Amino acid sequence: MSLYGTARYHLNVSLVGRGFLRWQRMQLERKLANPRPHEHMGPPIVTAAELKELISRHYLQGQYANGHMPVAWVTSGAPVEFLQALGYFLLYPENHGAVCGIRRKGGEYCGDAEDLGYSRDICSYARTDIGAVMTGKTPVGRLPRPDLLVCCTNICQTVLYWYRVLAEHFGCPLVIIDTPFVYQQAEDHAVDWVKRQIEQAVEVAERVAGRSLDPVKLREVTQLSRDAVDLWMQVLDRCQHRPAPMTAFDAFIQLAPIVEMRGKAFTVAYYQRLLDALDQRIEQGVWALKDERIRLVWDNLPIWHRMRWLGERFAERGVALVASTYTNAWGELAPLIDPAKPIDSGARTYLHAILNRSTGYKLGVITQLLSDYHADGVVLHSDRSCKPYSVGQIDQRGRLVGAEGVPALLLEADHNDQRSFSEEQVAARLDAFIEILED
Amino acid sequence: MVEIPSRGAVIERWRDSGGGVAAVYPIHHPRALWRAYGLLPVEVWGPPVTDTSRGDARLQAYTCSIVRCGLAFLESGGLGEVQLIVVPHACDSLQGLGSLLIDFAPPPQPVLTPYIPRARDASARGFLADELRRMGARLEEITGTRPDDAALLACVRAEEAADAALIELWGARRHLHRSNHDFYRLVRAREYLPAEEFVSSVRVALDARVDAAMPGPGVLLSGLLPEPMALLEVLDRAGAVVVLDDYACSGRRHYPAGASEDPWERMAERLLGGPPDPTLGHPIGQRVDHLVAGCERTGVEAVVFHGVKFCEPERFDLPMVRAGLEERLGLPCVDLEVDLASPLAHQAITRIEALVEGLS
Repeated sequence: MSLYGTARYHLNVSLVGRGFLRWQRMQLERKLANPRPHEHMGPPIVTAAELKELISRHYLQGQYANGHMPVAWVTSGAPVEFLQALGYFLLYPENHGAVCGIRRKGGEYCGDAEDLGYSRDICSYARTDIGAVMTGKTPVGRLPRPDLLVCCTNICQTVLYWYRVLAEHFGCPLVIIDTPFVYQQAEDHAVDWVKRQIEQAVEVAERVAGRSLDPVKLREVTQLSRDAVDLWMQVLDRCQHRPAPMTAFDAFIQLAPIVEMRGKAFTVAYYQRLLDALDQRIEQGVWALKDERIRLVWDNLPIWHRMRWLGERFAERGVALVASTYTNAWGELAPLIDPAKPIDSGARTYLHAILNRSTGYKLGVITQLLSDYHADGVVLHSDRSCKPYSVGQIDQRGRLVGAEGVPALLLEADHNDQRSFSEEQVAARLDAFIEILED
Repeated sequence: MVEIPSRGAVIERWRDSGGGVAAVYPIHHPRALWRAYGLLPVEVWGPPVTDTSRGDARLQAYTCSIVRCGLAFLESGGLGEVQLIVVPHACDSLQGLGSLLIDFAPPPQPVLTPYIPRARDASARGFLADELRRMGARLEEITGTRPDDAALLACVRAEEAADAALIELWGARRHLHRSNHDFYRLVRAREYLPAEEFVSSVRVALDARVDAAMPGPGVLLSGLLPEPMALLEVLDRAGAVVVLDDYACSGRRHYPAGASEDPWERMAERLLGGPPDPTLGHPIGQRVDHLVAGCERTGVEAVVFHGVKFCEPERFDLPMVRAGLEERLGLPCVDLEVDLASPLAHQAITRIEALVEGLS
């Protein structure tokens, strides 16, 4: 860390950046105060401007982080509380991938990775990230160079292969936190081993950061994580209201802080404001859709590059996506987080991520969401780029349609590569599915 | 000439002698453990060119063909005679297969899913030893037997001898005047022959070694498994000799002998002490160093990357491994991608022929 780096950071982030982002937020808030009426959708959630500011500030901090604070690139399911407590700036390549996807840049960056020899058959988040890293392209200005890579296998094995590529490219330490897959129940020796790995990861992170982990600070950060996750779950639960005050499309966007800003006080404050805003909408009768007729659960990642298109298509037909296994995954583990025992409870929490659990468990989550959110059916996004989420969906759908009698659609797409998406095919399948639900 | 019995013949003979069979999916697993409980491990790598329709009914088309073929084989009754099914955790697709078999498509036999850690330090070895003990407890329930540590250690030593024989076999490759196709029949017999029998077969082959080295350019094959085996016939016709192997089914399982006298620790030591493998999280640079050293030692002149479509562990490493071999050794490389359910494409044959022709 250098004096120049710190001065540059404060000038660009704390002074100029903060002022600009605040001005931008005010402009957006003015617009949101008098939104242009949409034929099928309710008004946007009032915290949208603040969310945009949070996300923009995060990436702005990233642009100037090198030289001012240690930087770690981490997988979305990794235990990050110790990194936050050590003062790291955290970059989530998957979230960056999602930003690229939303901006319809995923296909381009995937193509750049393919030009370098990376197969089109590998995950599109990884190709987006590798393409961005190798070419320097990004819609967020500039990505900071990592001092440390932290890869936790609780979301997939893909991240293991992907982060090995990053480690070779950047030549920085790679910490792997390997979480044995939970086929039925987590075994004690697996929990113990994950705990030991987190302890070893702390040692590496301390060495890279050049400072020791303060246990008090770690407990504080873990408490903030727990508070944010609790609030996030409450936010999602508000969609149990019929009609729903927001949809899963909103939740996919609102997810950003819980993923990449976990353990921060401002994240807790933001979700409290979001919760208040949703309560206010319920009180005032402001709904996500003007005419909600059908409620659905979404399984798997969103199709980032078609969010608006899908959202409008559903809205036109009175269909509200009221829950998703993906957004639920960031809240369902809240009871396992114990701020008094951050590492012990962290091992158990991060081992139980939905993607580290069986196909049968995932089906159980879907049926629970169907019941809790009073939903009429399920859309299972068969995501070409996410095998751990997608393998098993054919049987899950079979059980839903058969034993549960729940209409369920398997929709083929890719979460980030718009080249693997057939708009006409998807539209035809969705329309046919909705017709069945309307009957 | 070594007589190599077929899988079917070996299974029949083993069963006739009163033993049971464990069908084991890829990649890494403790052979000694199954043997100690009286089960002969017979590996299920596909099998290739199976009618995959039964697998396709449960798995999306973007799942790799090893898993689709493997599930199709099981669902069509191909594993009806085995006592145990083992699906080691190796990748997302095999993880999915194991989970499907437990939750949605349970076969009549019990299914075990050992987890092989992606690290090699003391804590990872400790975890793996505990994981193997857990498997042992399940095997005790399944088989009703309980080998003592001495019996288990004897099985570990027998497998160590078989692995040492396999490594010696590769070391003598140039002096065994056998076609690539024949050579691989022996190498892959490790997937199903009892360890003692495999050692005997290798001894017979090694006894036939001659001083004069086989002519022809040396080739490195890298991928998961040499299927379709027509690939080896193409190399034979072109006059090339496979002198080094980085296949998951063979070269990445040259496990060293262990040191511990505790059989559980020793099995863990061995499984984590093998050559670099993407599914076990070895750094890519370490893989490149390992392959460069092997190429230099064996005189490799060309490399065939022979991957299975949709196999992420292979495809992520490929650009850097290929660049490493090209830049450091100037080796020409071709990259073939196959589907086990399909025959080798003519385009692939042409590319291999062109690669070998370019060397002469």
